[in-house]
Amino acid sequence: MQSFQIRYRNTQGTLMRILNAASRRGLDIPTVHAEAGERDHHIMLLLDVNQKQVGQLYREWYSIADVIHVGAMHSAAWASPYPVAGATQEEARLAARA
Amino acid sequence: MLKGADIVLQCLRAEGVDLVFGYPGGAIMPLYDALEGSGVRHILTRHEQGAVFAAEGYARATGKVGVAMATSGPGATNLVTGIADAKMDSVPLVCITGQVRSALIGTDAFQETDVFGVTLSLTKWSRLVRTIDEIPEVIAEGFYWARSGRPGPVVIDIPTDMLKAKKEFSGPVKFTPHARPADAKAEGGFTDTIVALLQQSVKPVALVGAGAKLSGAISRLRRLLDDLNIPTFATVHGLGAVPPEAPYYLGMVGMHGTRAANTALHDTDLLMVFGARLDDRVTGDPSRFAPHAKIVHFEIDPAQLDRVRACELAVIGNLAETIPAFHAELQRHSLPDFSDWRAVACGEERAELDPRGLAQPTIRFLDELFSRLPQDSVVLADVGQHQMWAAQRYRSSSPRGFITSGGLGAMGFALPAAVGVQLAKPDTCVLCVSGDGGFQMNIQELATVHRLGLPVKMVIIDNKYLGMVRQWQQLFYQRNYAETDLSDNPDFVEIAKAYKIHSFRLKEDAMREFPVSDDTGDKIDRFLRSPQPELLVFDCAPEANVFPMVPAGAALSEMLLEEEPAQ
Repeated sequence: MQSFQIRYRNTQGTLMRILNAASRRGLDIPTVHAEAGERDHHIMLLLDVNQKQVGQLYREWYSIADVIHVGAMHSAAWASPYPVAGATQEEARLAARA
Repeated sequence: MLKGADIVLQCLRAEGVDLVFGYPGGAIMPLYDALEGSGVRHILTRHEQGAVFAAEGYARATGKVGVAMATSGPGATNLVTGIADAKMDSVPLVCITGQVRSALIGTDAFQETDVFGVTLSLTKWSRLVRTIDEIPEVIAEGFYWARSGRPGPVVIDIPTDMLKAKKEFSGPVKFTPHARPADAKAEGGFTDTIVALLQQSVKPVALVGAGAKLSGAISRLRRLLDDLNIPTFATVHGLGAVPPEAPYYLGMVGMHGTRAANTALHDTDLLMVFGARLDDRVTGDPSRFAPHAKIVHFEIDPAQLDRVRACELAVIGNLAETIPAFHAELQRHSLPDFSDWRAVACGEERAELDPRGLAQPTIRFLDELFSRLPQDSVVLADVGQHQMWAAQRYRSSSPRGFITSGGLGAMGFALPAAVGVQLAKPDTCVLCVSGDGGFQMNIQELATVHRLGLPVKMVIIDNKYLGMVRQWQQLFYQRNYAETDLSDNPDFVEIAKAYKIHSFRLKEDAMREFPVSDDTGDKIDRFLRSPQPELLVFDCAPEANVFPMVPAGAALSEMLLEEEPAQ
């Protein structure tokens, strides 16, 4: 199970778009908790995903207009040899030259 | 005081919109009522799907935002296929739908559909307008998202009472997006990494997709490719980005790509992707796609990375910025001599790109047609066998010269899209190539062509089958031609006449001799040069097939080159 925390502006449809990124992949969403924060809204999702899906979800959530930040608690950092959105250039360069 | 409908139209004008496509109905009537004198020209299509495809054609031909309008309920749901198409092919599109009045929303009122919900997963951004005060901000933001980054579709749903209400209007507004960490783009550091990868490489290749065109980076990309001088190929939406006569160009890649392109892609050790998402039609079996290669992916939309196959280096950002940065770095270094690799990849098989006179009659017909087109023509292809034949045979140097529904593969796209292209480019020869199946999906738009007197040149490749499905049935389903027989097609020539459009039929026999007879050549020339709309029905052999073909799930190296059943 992977836990994701997403910060977003609570505009029309943004929460649904976040959830849809998981449901369109046929992923079950056993836990979801959304609440208003001080300035933005937060959602915590628990999903059973593989490493590749983590990268895809991460980037798809970021492509939603009113998503501000995506965070994930993951056990082995970014174990894949490719960078994810937000990875530093140095990480990407090292991965490519590996 | 202005009505909401007038505010909508003034905001559209502020966004540069002078042409919209649509179909009126109850909930959107106030907007239609306000059209006259607004400076926005409305094109009435004969179906909402025709309107949205026409708006897409306009957008694809110009790079501007296409606008489609429809009423609530069925009007809005008829837009859905076009919205999905725009999402897949990165087309800037704004759809404005009427909605039942606010007090009725959620009551299952007459012609009420939750179009906001229906299109949520297909749109880049959408809004249901709740107050008349929101209208200027919503339209400004909608156009911003349709155009920005990777372009895409936007839906703005406006209840009819918002269109009728009045308010003081101080003018259109500008939208300023919030900055986000996710908007980070590539820094300069990537360039030396790519140069290092090139210096280690023995068999580098370049793959060009639609993103290269959408970013406006074509001239920069062409200069880069000239300097790289490595085997280069394009996706179906990348066609036209690279001049076909470039000595390193191998044509289209993927399921119906050239043998040379697919072979080079399979053999490469360094794949540089410029604005393509590497979907399954390009990669074949992802686990065996470019199996020896490291991938460098230039892409504006991070969500497109690693969908099918992981890349080793992502260069996120607008190609108009990242390509020059890389090119500048490249010019400070020398690269290995790739001439042996180039000779292998671009060798004899490159001749396949232009085997005129050797091919089957339908391909010969398309070759004749394309070779007689005026320069800078725009060719639209619908979806199916004729689409792939056209993509294989049309050799355009114009980045927006070949338009088709590539990602969604929506049959019925080409005819209404051609309406939009012809309106955008009134002095350009617009050639619309369809199959007999797809043409009938939006055949009603012949009325739009006639009403506007658009000189669209329409071709139906009539094999009396749903040809691509039949081809798969032949190759992979033991010739069980289940429900693909269209032998009872109507007489398209007579149908065109009923719409007062001149039309004629050309038999396949006319293409059996090469070069074609003067008579046949004259017919084609007259067709293309006519100042009126014209329909040409070409009788195609029922079982003509598209080759090369990579069977679904196979590797690119497992192309079928001729008609033999797959194992």
